[in-house]
Amino acid sequence: MNELIPLMVIVPLMAALLISAFSKFNKITKIFAFVVAICLPIIPLASNYGLHYFGGYAPIMDNVTNVMFHPAITYSFTFLQQIFIAMVGLLTFLVIFIYLNKYKEVSGPYLFLLFLGTAAVTAMLLTDDIFHMFVFFEILALAQVGIVAASSIDYSYEMALKYMILGSIGSPIMLLGIGFLLALTGSVNVTDIAAAVHNGLVNVTSPVFLMSLALIFFGWLYASGLPPFHTIKSGIYSKAEPHGAALLQSFTVISMISIVLIMFRIYSSLPIFEVLIVFFSILAMVLGVSLALTQTDFRRMIGFLAVGELGFIGLGIGLGTQFAITAGLFQALNEIMITALLFIGFGAIVNATNEVDTRKLGGLLAYHPKVGIMLLIGGMAMAGVPPLSGFQSKLMLVQASLSCGFPELSILAIMVSIATFVVFIKTFYAMFLRPKPNDLEVEGKEVPRSMIFAMGVLLIIIILLGLFPDAVTSGISNFVGGIL
Amino acid sequence: MAYVQLVVLFTSAALIIIGLYAAIFVDNIIKKIIGISFIEEGANLFIVAIGYRPGGVVPILMPGMDTSWFAANAAYPLPFGLVLTSIVIGASTLAVMLALVMVLYRRYGTLSTKVMLADTSKQEEYNE
Amino acid sequence: MKLYDQIFDVVKQFKKLFSPGPVTNADVSGSITAEIFLIVSLVISTLLLRHVNVLLAGLVAFILAIVLISNIPLIPKFKIEQEDSLEKMLFYAIVTLAILVTFLYWGGNLV
Repeated sequence: MNELIPLMVIVPLMAALLISAFSKFNKITKIFAFVVAICLPIIPLASNYGLHYFGGYAPIMDNVTNVMFHPAITYSFTFLQQIFIAMVGLLTFLVIFIYLNKYKEVSGPYLFLLFLGTAAVTAMLLTDDIFHMFVFFEILALAQVGIVAASSIDYSYEMALKYMILGSIGSPIMLLGIGFLLALTGSVNVTDIAAAVHNGLVNVTSPVFLMSLALIFFGWLYASGLPPFHTIKSGIYSKAEPHGAALLQSFTVISMISIVLIMFRIYSSLPIFEVLIVFFSILAMVLGVSLALTQTDFRRMIGFLAVGELGFIGLGIGLGTQFAITAGLFQALNEIMITALLFIGFGAIVNATNEVDTRKLGGLLAYHPKVGIMLLIGGMAMAGVPPLSGFQSKLMLVQASLSCGFPELSILAIMVSIATFVVFIKTFYAMFLRPKPNDLEVEGKEVPRSMIFAMGVLLIIIILLGLFPDAVTSGISNFVGGIL
Repeated sequence: MAYVQLVVLFTSAALIIIGLYAAIFVDNIIKKIIGISFIEEGANLFIVAIGYRPGGVVPILMPGMDTSWFAANAAYPLPFGLVLTSIVIGASTLAVMLALVMVLYRRYGTLSTKVMLADTSKQEEYNE
Repeated sequence: MKLYDQIFDVVKQFKKLFSPGPVTNADVSGSITAEIFLIVSLVISTLLLRHVNVLLAGLVAFILAIVLISNIPLIPKFKIEQEDSLEKMLFYAIVTLAILVTFLYWGGNLV
C-alpha cells in the first residue's frame, strides 16, 4: 500500500494540529494522543516500499538530452526509512505514554511539539527534495526549542534562546548552500542534482560547487551537534524533561543521517568531503567524551556522551565504503535506542530524588534496583560490551576502518569506547553503589511504572539487535549499495 | 550577467556579512537578533536573484500566450516559490526568539547578552 | 623533577574545576583520565597525516606531544573555552564557518 507513505508525515502533523486546537477536552485529548502514538510505529511497518510523487506528477523524460526530471516533491520509502521511522515512532509512543501517565492534566501545546518533531524528522528521512528537507529542518528546530522551553528546569529558556540564535545562523547558511546548488543545476531534487553532478553537467572542481559544500556542511554541523555546536546540543539535552531529551536526541541523530546521506549522494565524488566528515567526527569523539568525564551533572554528562557517540556515525559515513556506511547507519539506529534508555533511566532518578549532582547522590541500588540494573546494561551497550547491540556496530566500525587502511581510527574508536565505559562506571558507582549520603532523601518516592515499561521495551530491542544484527544490517547494506 | 543582478548579489553578500558581524560584536540582544535575521534575508535575496532573467516576463502563463515564447522569456519561477516558504519560516523563528527575549527581559531586567545568556554556572553566582 | 611537580600541581588545579562544592576521588580521577585521553587521542589522530607525508606526521605528532605535555593541566583550559555562554559559542561557530569557507574555496581541490 503505497498510499501510506505520505500518511507517515500527515498523521502526526494532523494529530499535532487537532490536539493543540482541542486541548481543553482533557480526556479526549489523552485518548486521541495515545491512539495516534500507537499508529506511528505501525504505519511504516504496514507500508510497501516505493516512491510517492506529490500531486501525481511522475518524472518527465527529456527526449532531446535523454535526462530524467522530477517535477514533484518525491518521497522515497525503502528499508532504511522503514526501520528508522518505525524506531522513531516507537520512541514517540513510549515518550507520550510516559508523559500521559505522569500528568493528570495534559498540555496540548507540549503534545503538539512532540508530534510536530516526529512529523518533521519523518519527512526529512523520506524526502528526495533538498529544499523540502530544509523546511522540515527549520520546523524541527522550532519543535526542539519548544520542547526545551516547556520544561520546568532552571535556565531552560536561556538554553532554548541560545539554541535558537545559533540555529538562525546555521539554517540560513545552509539555505545559501542550497541556493548555490540551485544556481548550478536549476533543480532542488536530489536525484536530479546527483545525476547532473555525476554526468559531468556540473564542474565539480569549480569554487561555487565547493562553496555550496562548505555552506551545507556548516548547516549539517549545526543539525547534528558536532563541534563547534557540541556544547549547545548537550546543553539542550540537559535542560529538557528527561523523556523530552530522549526524543530530542533521536531527532538529532535522524536529522544528522538524513542530511549526510543527501550530501553523500551529491558530493561523494569530492575527496575533501570525506576528509571533512572524518575530521569533525574525531573532534566530536575526543571533545565529547573528555568533557563528559569532567561533568558532575549527570544529565549534562549523558548529553556530552551522546554527542561523542555521534562521532562514530560520522566516522562510518566518512570512510565511504559500503561496509563502513552500513556500520555507521547501524550505529545510528543503536544510538537512538541506547541514549533514549539512558535519558529515561536517569530521568527516573531525577524524578525520585530531585537531585542531579552526582556528588550528592549515592546508595540508590537498594531503593531502585530495577532502574539500576537496566541503566547498567544500557551503559554497557553504549560502551560496546558484548553481546549488546552497541558492540556489534562498534566492531563493524573498527573492522571497516582497518580494512580501509586507517588503523589509527580503529585505535581511536576503541579508546573512545573505553573512555565511555569509564564515564559510565564512574557515574554508576557514584549514584548507585557508594554509601548513601546522610542528607539525601529517597524514602517513599516511587519510579513511575510507565518509565520502567519504556526502559524494558528499549532494553529488549537492544539485546535482540545485539544477538541478531543481520536482521537489520543486511537490509541497510542493500540500501547503501543502491546509493554508492 | 546583468548589472541589476550583480547589484542584488552584492547586497545579499553585504547583508550576510553584516549579520555575522552583529552576531559576534553586538551586545544588545534585540539588536543581535535583528542582525542575525539579516543573514536569513541575505540568503533569501540571493535565491531570488538566481531566478532573474534580463528582459524576462512574469512567470504566469496567461491565456493566449504562445507556450514556446513563454518558455524562452519567462523568469525562473522555482526560486520565488522557495523564498516564499523560507520567509514564512524565518518570520516564525524570529517571533519565537523575540518572545523568549521578552520572558528573559522580565526576569533579568536587562537586554545585555553578557548577563542574560552567560554561562549557567556564572548565572547562579549572579543571582545570589 | 619539574615535570613531577607539574603533575602534582594538576590535582590541585582540578579542585578549582569543581568548585563550588566538594571534590570527590571519582571526580579527580575522572579528570586525570580525561587529561591523558585528550593528549593520547590528539597525538594518535595526528598520525593520520602520514597519508599526506610520513615525515610531516612524525614531526607534527612529536611537537604536539611536547606542547600538550608541557602545558598540563589541559582540561581546565578546554573547559573554559567550551562553557555555555552565548558569546563563546557564537565566536567558535563563526570562526569555524570562516575557516570552512576559506579552506574549501581556495584549497578544496588540493586534497
